[in-house]
Amino acid sequence: MSAIGTGYDLSASQFSPDGRVFQVEYAQKAVENSGTAIALRAKDGVVFAVEKLVTSKLYETGANKRIFNIDRHIGCAVAGLLADARAIVNVANDEAKDYRSQYGTEIPLKYLKDRVAMYMHAYTLYSALRPFGASLLLGSWDKFEGPQLYCLDPSGLSYGYFGISIGKAKQSAKTEIEKISLKDKTCSELIKEAAKIIYIVHDEIKDKSFELELSWVSEATNGRHECVPQEVFDEAEKFAKDALKHDSDSD
Amino acid sequence: MDVSFDRNQSSFDFNTVEACDNVTPEWLEPDSTGTTIMAVEFADGVVIGADSRATRGFYVSNRVSDKVNHVSDHIYCCRSGSAADTQAILDTIRYHLSFYEMELGEPALVKVAANLFKEMCYTYRDQLTAGIIVAGWDKRYGGQVYSIPLGGMMVRQSAIAGGSGGTYIYGYIDKFYKPRMTREECIKFVIEGISLAMERDASSGGVIRVAIIDKEGVEKKIIAGGDLPKFHEK
Amino acid sequence: MALLPDLPKGGFVFENFQRNEFLKAKGFRAPKATKTGTTIVGCLVKDGVILGADTRATSGSVIADKYSDKIHYMAKNIYCCGAGTAADTLYVTRMVSSNLELHRLNTNRVVPVICALRMLKQHLFRYQGYVSAALVLAGVDEDGAHLYSVTPHGSSDKLPFTTMGSGSLAAMAVFETRWKPNMTIEEGKKLVRDSVAAGIFNDLGSGNNIDMCIITRDGVDYMRPYEEANLKGQRLNSYVFDKGATPILTVHTIPLEVEEVMVRHMDETMDTSA
Repeated sequence: MSAIGTGYDLSASQFSPDGRVFQVEYAQKAVENSGTAIALRAKDGVVFAVEKLVTSKLYETGANKRIFNIDRHIGCAVAGLLADARAIVNVANDEAKDYRSQYGTEIPLKYLKDRVAMYMHAYTLYSALRPFGASLLLGSWDKFEGPQLYCLDPSGLSYGYFGISIGKAKQSAKTEIEKISLKDKTCSELIKEAAKIIYIVHDEIKDKSFELELSWVSEATNGRHECVPQEVFDEAEKFAKDALKHDSDSD
Repeated sequence: MDVSFDRNQSSFDFNTVEACDNVTPEWLEPDSTGTTIMAVEFADGVVIGADSRATRGFYVSNRVSDKVNHVSDHIYCCRSGSAADTQAILDTIRYHLSFYEMELGEPALVKVAANLFKEMCYTYRDQLTAGIIVAGWDKRYGGQVYSIPLGGMMVRQSAIAGGSGGTYIYGYIDKFYKPRMTREECIKFVIEGISLAMERDASSGGVIRVAIIDKEGVEKKIIAGGDLPKFHEK
Repeated sequence: MALLPDLPKGGFVFENFQRNEFLKAKGFRAPKATKTGTTIVGCLVKDGVILGADTRATSGSVIADKYSDKIHYMAKNIYCCGAGTAADTLYVTRMVSSNLELHRLNTNRVVPVICALRMLKQHLFRYQGYVSAALVLAGVDEDGAHLYSVTPHGSSDKLPFTTMGSGSLAAMAVFETRWKPNMTIEEGKKLVRDSVAAGIFNDLGSGNNIDMCIITRDGVDYMRPYEEANLKGQRLNSYVFDKGATPILTVHTIPLEVEEVMVRHMDETMDTSA
């Protein structure tokens, strides 16, 4: 720790002399310790892929999933402290539910992400609170707005993306995403690419095993966010493994 | 002299006097918009209309009242029932919706507006006397008409009449409504419907106010008493 | 010592209900609120707006006040006529008036008439018609002259001319026959006078004087009374008879005989200390 930060990192309600809020930056570090999550915006929807690290062989498979439904039409992949992420997902769920009961329509993602971002931001303002150690990827598709993808950060910022990665290997995943021409691809093409990226960026040496999670929300799913069907999953995983094998063969 | 006297011995019936005393004078009664209101979807928008009579007992308290009210830029509503209740609802929803549009940064869907009306009418259904028609245009679903009758139900209909005069013209609507009418056809359909009701319903009358809402915006029209269609002369 | 005094609770007090039930059980009638069986009117003219009112306040069939003031001050540019329960009209206008003044000081602007309207109708709606005030609200602001009528239940109408109170039908008849757009102030005054006079002469609940208030951009002309509508008529003849007009036919005198005179002296003096 540089000397300048000393003493200024104990509370979210205090700036450092050079104008930073260390607690928020630490929260961002927490996100970078977790397994990678990516989301890609296709022309007909959004796909999510998560590298869920499994730290013990004794865990049941499929436990502690990191892809959630916010509402029927909004999907969410998270990285960071899972318990923190779940708390935010809960808030997003309530927000979507309240909107539905009050206005009788589905909440627009554009509005939801602002509301959730405001909530996360509030946790960066008070000494009694700790910022959330989690980032969220939010995606949806409808026939009026088309595909939408946003990333929420512990600082309370949110940006729209064509493709985004968060977590451990976000840098190398970003490099991989940039190689794809996202705008021309459909979800069924991108789901394979997403699986492949997760397999590529997975660090076999440091993290032993992981489970792949895949989901999408697209025109084909009628605007609903769903786990991909088993055969699509198998195909994507096979595609990823083959690509990886091919790469290592050619090396 | 004995000031207090036995009522039963009096030949004058004081009970009647008391009964008379308890009757609220007509001018203190609540205003009601015993009304004819109507809204119809056409090819690219909606036409919404109403008569202009507001009554208090048997007195016409306003013969030029405006029951076709602005909710937001592309959404209007028609009020029937208690004037005080419907005005209070309208004021609240209008405020709520303007806030909503600022937050969302785009015009509200007609369905959203109708849902707000429904939510209020249903929550306070025991205390309110309000029958409301919400109509408007949005870029997603085009022209839409929603009816929110007394109990706080909400239902989308392509053509609907409401208020005390509405009952007189359900048959007219069932017989003559055609889907995807032109703008002019639809205006004529609404004006004729309301004037038919105005001729049979004592608590409807005055002028007809209509609003035509489509993607271009809103056009409000007034059909003065003298220019109403004259069915009795046909 | 309490640092915070107990604040009185808002809303209605129902204490008198029990008293009234008791009175009823004993065969008495419960006291009634003074109603201003009233004629109040308002009328837009070219340069402003004119309010008119009678001055009779009744309590049952008794005239409780012959010179009641029914045109209430709301703000420098806004006045309001009240019909219904006298106390309710007075207090609701007073309350809104003070809020309008605070609003004016906060915003540093001439308060729009619509503000007064909203405050009045939201208050009246909240009390579901139990605040018995039927109002005619008028004023001039940045957008020109405005005239509204407000019912006790909280509905309102924006109109070029309006009447309220028990005499409203008579007054409205005058407006309906003679009102026209863009009248001069003089024409407007005449019409408002005649309209209130129609209420005074045709409605038992209205009477006595006509008050009038003219609001224009240049200021307010509050005339109380504008006219004493039904003055007591002059007797045309004197009905005092001259002395000797009745002839004396016979005289019979019965003298008073004093039989005994008694004087009693009081020992105690009256206590006048209090």
